[in-house]
Amino acid sequence: MADEFRIDVKPDWAEVVRVNESTHDFLTSIALPEHVVDTFTMVACELVENGIKYGDNRRLTRSEVELIVSATSKTITVQVKNRISEETRFHLRQLDRTLQWVRGFQDPFQAYIERIKEISREPSTRGTSGLGIVRIAYEARAAIDFIVGEDDTINVSAVAKVSR
Amino acid sequence: MSRFDGIQEGPLTIRREEVTKDLVLVFEGKSILRDPAEFLQPILIQVLDEADSEGKRLILDFSSLTYMNSSTYTPLVKTLERARLGNSQITVLYDADQKWQSVSFVALTIFATGDGRVAVVGKE
Repeated sequence: MADEFRIDVKPDWAEVVRVNESTHDFLTSIALPEHVVDTFTMVACELVENGIKYGDNRRLTRSEVELIVSATSKTITVQVKNRISEETRFHLRQLDRTLQWVRGFQDPFQAYIERIKEISREPSTRGTSGLGIVRIAYEARAAIDFIVGEDDTINVSAVAKVSR
Repeated sequence: MSRFDGIQEGPLTIRREEVTKDLVLVFEGKSILRDPAEFLQPILIQVLDEADSEGKRLILDFSSLTYMNSSTYTPLVKTLERARLGNSQITVLYDADQKWQSVSFVALTIFATGDGRVAVVGKE
């Protein structure tokens, strides 16, 4: 049976602090090792940050970001769901390209190094680091994927094996 | 421009410490900044220039941080690259006993120079 934690997050950057603290508390409460707690707190925060940045910010009253963290004896799954809009849809293509790019590396650490090298060469005006997804693949060794529903909702998931 | 003495932004605190030969910035708390490039990059450039002009090593001490989002790496990476390509002396310190820090910061050793001018060091 899975331990599960769900919260709805307002599309407000200050909420990331609450996500960080509550995810950390949940993962600690189910007796995961400290480094696993830290890693999957990071995964939840990075995915929620993306949900807030690239979600449908026009629908402030109903476009919350939903975070679900579940853990079985063998896996941890972090899911983030949020609405998207036409204005933010191009980020899906960017996310897809990043995932394909990461999967092209045998070792996600190499992808992480390559992305850091790229950041060092890019102009500061680029705006986004694009490092979050690569960091999740490397530090959590997670399989990352996403599904877009007919109701313009994106569900991004990161699933990783873990020893409890 | 006035001297940078430290700042608090949400759960992140940056303190300046003056040591005889070094200019030290201590990062404490959590870095969950939305746009660290806009907030942090000017600070890092300023203190790197100050350290250079005073012939000091800039030490960026992250060992007391409990969380750092991926966006925060951008200004740090750019500062290390700037130092690597110039003549600055800079050290990034992290806590080698905190696994999340050692896993994250080890990647920054790609900027380290053979002469130790640019260094990324895990505190035991």
